Amino acid sequence: MVRVEVIDNVLAPSPSRIIKIEKMTEIERLFHVKFLSRDLVERFVYRPGQFVEVGVTGVGEAPISICSWREEPEILELCIRRVGRVTNAIHRLKEGDLLWIRGPYGNGFPMEEMEGSNLLLIAGGLGVAPLRAVLQYALKNRERYGEITVFYGFKSYELMLFREEFLYLFREGDEQKLRLYLSYEDQNDEKCKRLAEERGERIVQGVVTKLFEKTEISPENTYAIICGPPIMYKFVVKELIKRNFKPWQIYLTLERRMRCGIGKCGHCIVGEGNSIKYVCKDGPVFTYWDALNTKGMI
Amino acid sequence: MERPKIGVFSLTGCGGDQLMILNLEDVLLDLLSYFDIKDFQEISSFKEDSDLDIAFVEGSVSTKQDLRKLKEIRARCKMLIAIGNCAISGGIQAMKNGQMEILERMKRVYGIEEDIYGVLEPKGLSAYVKVDLEIPGCPIEKEETLRAITSILHGDMPDQFDYPVCVECKLKEYPCVLIEKNLPCLGPIIVAGCGARCPGLGLPCIGCRGPIKEEANAAAELEVLLSKGYDEEHIVNLMRIFCANFGEIKKITEIIRRRSGKGRQE
Amino acid sequence: MMYLKLPREDFDAFFKNLQEYGKIYGPVKAGSSAYNFKEVTTLDEMDLSYNRTIVPPKKFFVGLKEKIFEFDEKRAEFREVIEDDPRKVIFGIHSCDIHALKLLDKIYLEDMADKYYLERRRNAILIGIDCHPDEHCFCKSMGTSYATDGFDLFLHEISDGFFVRVGSMKGHEIVAKNKGLFDPVGSEDIEEFKRSQKKRLDEFKLELNLSGLQDMLELAHNSQIWDEYAEKCLGCGTCNLVCPTCRCYDVIDFVNLDITTGERVRRWDSCMLRRHGLVAGGLNFRPTRVERLRNRFNCKGSLLEGMLNCVGCGRCTVYCPAGIDYVEVLRKIAGD
Repeated sequence: MVRVEVIDNVLAPSPSRIIKIEKMTEIERLFHVKFLSRDLVERFVYRPGQFVEVGVTGVGEAPISICSWREEPEILELCIRRVGRVTNAIHRLKEGDLLWIRGPYGNGFPMEEMEGSNLLLIAGGLGVAPLRAVLQYALKNRERYGEITVFYGFKSYELMLFREEFLYLFREGDEQKLRLYLSYEDQNDEKCKRLAEERGERIVQGVVTKLFEKTEISPENTYAIICGPPIMYKFVVKELIKRNFKPWQIYLTLERRMRCGIGKCGHCIVGEGNSIKYVCKDGPVFTYWDALNTKGMI
Repeated sequence: MERPKIGVFSLTGCGGDQLMILNLEDVLLDLLSYFDIKDFQEISSFKEDSDLDIAFVEGSVSTKQDLRKLKEIRARCKMLIAIGNCAISGGIQAMKNGQMEILERMKRVYGIEEDIYGVLEPKGLSAYVKVDLEIPGCPIEKEETLRAITSILHGDMPDQFDYPVCVECKLKEYPCVLIEKNLPCLGPIIVAGCGARCPGLGLPCIGCRGPIKEEANAAAELEVLLSKGYDEEHIVNLMRIFCANFGEIKKITEIIRRRSGKGRQE
Repeated sequence: MMYLKLPREDFDAFFKNLQEYGKIYGPVKAGSSAYNFKEVTTLDEMDLSYNRTIVPPKKFFVGLKEKIFEFDEKRAEFREVIEDDPRKVIFGIHSCDIHALKLLDKIYLEDMADKYYLERRRNAILIGIDCHPDEHCFCKSMGTSYATDGFDLFLHEISDGFFVRVGSMKGHEIVAKNKGLFDPVGSEDIEEFKRSQKKRLDEFKLELNLSGLQDMLELAHNSQIWDEYAEKCLGCGTCNLVCPTCRCYDVIDFVNLDITTGERVRRWDSCMLRRHGLVAGGLNFRPTRVERLRNRFNCKGSLLEGMLNCVGCGRCTVYCPAGIDYVEVLRKIAGD
């Protein structure tokens, strides 16, 4: 039989160089990576909320959301927490080493659909990573969006990711018509207390939902976008529903064991009966309406 | 890179797990060349008392002397790897744990009701010290052991089997001996990694690799075997050959003991 | 559809001539009552009256456990591993398994096609054969007891040979190349084919009512039924591994002894296993057998573009070591 067609192997990863590693906390590092192949650099088009499968040979792959939206699109930023076998292996790598990347995968956030609306971003812990891409996108295209409000909750000053960037926005964000609110859990965190002395109206001690007490949030022409640990969703959604947000005005992005990233390996299946979804392909971004109709999603 | 310093040690056991490492004949010299071997009784009488990067320990802790030796090894090494069922859970010699006093066992085996060896109830290493990795089997599987070592040399902890023998049995397309032949196969509760060797030969799994920890549904296995006509005592003895010290099997023993009303000492 | 007759005396010659299309795999007895698809070189190695194989023919397209890549860290290489000659003839596949492959095609070929699957699928020839249901077959209820497409040739046994349906271009090529072996169908053959199909339909004993099944499953979320069966369930994964529509796979990397080269392997997986719902850091989205069992039944009972993820082959019931009856569970869920 004559082969007439060369088929791409969608499971084949592409080598990419780690050009910079920034230590963010004891367990989280920011990796700046760039594809070796020029061709791929040009073809790689992604949107905020999408993820890549990041692999280390001999260990395996892990789904990691892209946390940047940069001027130089060829450089991807990946904030990686050392938590499993693959991410431990990634943390052992040094600048100049290779990572094997596939993607981008998933639907990402509907940035076009949200144009002309206000954005309320609510992030908890590592959940700030994908929302940072949304934020960078929105700030680059500032004129397309209305008011931007960000709630960012973390455990302590030391565990705050992208600290410098967010502290800058905490202080100077208003110039870009961005209101950033912070919440920290550690009652004895002196550095956060100092931030509270500096700008008490924008920071609170407690969980991220406490920030709803800090400001009036109107559902009028607003989309809420949430990302955080699984436990956070129910509480945040409750606050939003209380403020008359409709289920389709609320976007969530989910974490699952996405082995293949392309809707085949089955590990990320959620739902029951009428609604079974692949988080990797149908998501990872879902509306709260989807969550209401898909059991076990949040 | 400096070669990792290793030691391979035996407590109470048959030496079969060390032997399985030596049985990696095709790759043995290449494999050992990665290491600076400080102690490996089955290879050489050479011993050097030094710190170790990795200690491989086979055999159960069955005597006070074993325990002393184990604590010394643990203090010397950065990573402790338990190799084989004895080192993980006490092995076959733990079969009567909780069912028969040590002195009674001495009497049955040696004919004297006296503890002449400083005997402890046989247990695995993790009952006494921190264990970094357990490689199951009686004996360990060559392939699995090699994979684990290459993973460690690569810098990672190996991805371990945590699913039952049935998975491998199906992947090899073997007919189910439990269903087809009504044999008392323990495959559904025993951790994979052996390639379903026994069912592949038409024999039931006898559980040498131990149950899947905190997962195996031994109570359901018991019900299945009862429905095949095996009696309770037979089933529980079968499960206890290799697995008596695992929580799942202890529970089964307890259920049966209560059901049969036999007041065996526990 | 093109219809032909393969007289019994030509059957052997037809089988032999198929060898030019690749190795032939057919149903071979594997135990006292089990069968597997194995490589065969003669007709009599096969038992064409088999009920079902242990593992479904999915194995020809997604390997049970197969190396998919090799890597070399020093040279920064990542090479795909695909067999040079993926041609195969799968002889004697049943209608339910053909329907299952159609479903797998949707998953593996539409949208980001899996290269391994695609290469093998388009190089494989499927020769279907009629079967007779046993007490565990419920394909009639699932609408999969008869294949209208998805095969190259389909053989229906009649008194003096086979009534053959030609289902594809490839099938057409085969019969064209072997035209001396085939006869046109006569009116008696047609009558006999019709009678045999009618008789076959009457043989089905097991039925499952599918009406509203998806709602019944959702409504049963908190049902005691799941607890009851989770207590019996051994969590061994057999039901998934023998299922022709299950397609979960896991991927594992291995390093060779040189510590710089190695391979990436994929293996069939099961949602009944603990690690299926586990994410890094130890959080498990389906921590107990109750959740896993419920998830499996929901996944089977859900619709994929109108197709159920079950073809009624009965394997999961037949091979469950705990004796859990799939149809019985769904009947309880539906309150039948």
